[in-house]
Amino acid sequence: MRRLIHFVREAVANIRLNRTTTIIAVATTAFTLACFGVFLLLYLNLRAVATSLQGDFKVVVYVKDGLPPSGVSELQGLLKADPGVQALVYVSKEQALADFRAQFPDESHLLQGLGENPLPASFIVTLAPSHRSPDTVRRAAERFKSEPGVDQVQYSRDWIDNLATVVGYLELAAVGIGTVLSAASVTIIASTIRLTLYARRDEIEIMRLIGATGGFIKIPYLIEGAMLGAMGSAVSLVMLKGGFELFSARLGMPGRFLGIDSGFHFFSGQVAVLIMGAGLLLGFIGSAVSVLDLGRAKS
Amino acid sequence: MIQIFHVTKHYDRRPALTDVNLQIEKGEFVLLMGPSGAGKTTLLKLLYCATSLDEGQILIQGRNVVRLKSSDVPYLRRTMGVVFQDFKLLSKKSVYENVALPLLVQGLSTFETRRKVMEALKAVGVEHRKESRPTMLSAGEQQRVCIARSIVNSPIILLADEPTGNMDASLAREIVDLFKTINARGTTVLVATHNRQVIEQVGRRVITLDQGKVVSDEGRGL
Repeated sequence: MRRLIHFVREAVANIRLNRTTTIIAVATTAFTLACFGVFLLLYLNLRAVATSLQGDFKVVVYVKDGLPPSGVSELQGLLKADPGVQALVYVSKEQALADFRAQFPDESHLLQGLGENPLPASFIVTLAPSHRSPDTVRRAAERFKSEPGVDQVQYSRDWIDNLATVVGYLELAAVGIGTVLSAASVTIIASTIRLTLYARRDEIEIMRLIGATGGFIKIPYLIEGAMLGAMGSAVSLVMLKGGFELFSARLGMPGRFLGIDSGFHFFSGQVAVLIMGAGLLLGFIGSAVSVLDLGRAKS
Repeated sequence: MIQIFHVTKHYDRRPALTDVNLQIEKGEFVLLMGPSGAGKTTLLKLLYCATSLDEGQILIQGRNVVRLKSSDVPYLRRTMGVVFQDFKLLSKKSVYENVALPLLVQGLSTFETRRKVMEALKAVGVEHRKESRPTMLSAGEQQRVCIARSIVNSPIILLADEPTGNMDASLAREIVDLFKTINARGTTVLVATHNRQVIEQVGRRVITLDQGKVVSDEGRGL
């Protein structure tokens, strides 16, 4: 415990002693992480939008006109038994007409001249989350189409799929950009720690000569690196939050953005903690790179 | 305690020590004499593993220093106290913190550390300066702090490199008396010096080095 206090105290003392270097390191790390943060924010929000749209995705199974109630019940049973089906709602011909009139009150006269209700009965099928990929949706539609009593199967998810593809590309780009910016953060912190080590080389030599092990000498610098990383990520979160609030206010999007229900959201507490943790880890790695050769007792 | 067999050391092809053979027994007080560049500091550095040798073997308490792993060196150093010519005190830490450092490294409790540090500071007569920074002390006081740090963990061997350099005669006498007291407690003391007054005051075994070779070994005995 006493040693741990010593390590932390030494790390804090280092940070306080090298204020200018610390400020430069924290600021540069913050900007680097903020660049990644902007990208992450965009990616997470688009993914949320895509997931939300995919969640609302429905397949409409139109029932052949004149199918007796027993046939409808049978079809309902067959659809319910399908492994891809999560939920099923039956819309009768009358209900379809009522829905049409409710949704398009100005166009309801279009159906008046036809006499008989031309709208077919249908089943609105919600697919299970595991069956929402383009391939599985296509296969499910083919299965539904082959059931007796089915007239047509309709689904339109091209643009949702396109969005999912874009999100997929963004994911790849996030990994690439994240890796490059992480390497930049590690290099910045490694350089800062190297400067500290250079400034304190005499002290390190003395510590070695009085019998300090490599670990005893290194640990304060590792803690310092981790602290710099954490501080950098905290500052980047503050910058991102400020930027996000400004962006939200400018676009006037309290809860909705471009008609998307979910709206744009800032990082959740969990993601913010993860970003802090990532900063801490990057700082630790940066420091570890610098102190790798330190503490070798023999000259 | 210390056995040195055919030790040779070069710095950039210039010989610093050539075929040195020595044996120092437990509890001995040995003075290492010789002019500047004779190899005194190099010999001490070899003993506390601050440099590596080119040829030969060094055994300290039966452990071969040459074969020692890097990770074991700190533990060997903890059995020794070293008084450096340039003191090697941490300028940003207080006298107390400097002296406490070897105990902190060993993980001693706060209570035990305090007791030992105060004992060491009292032994060298600088307990009243425990809160001061080394830069605020005179050369003599800094030397005493350095000695306090070297004896605080009750070492088996005490190595001192020119401990009375830049000191007046009376101060040098006090420092030598201090080493004699430490030696009387059973610590093996090896002091490198070119101060004749120190040799006369100690009156023990004197090993003379010149151009990296042992040229005389007088008054051997406990």
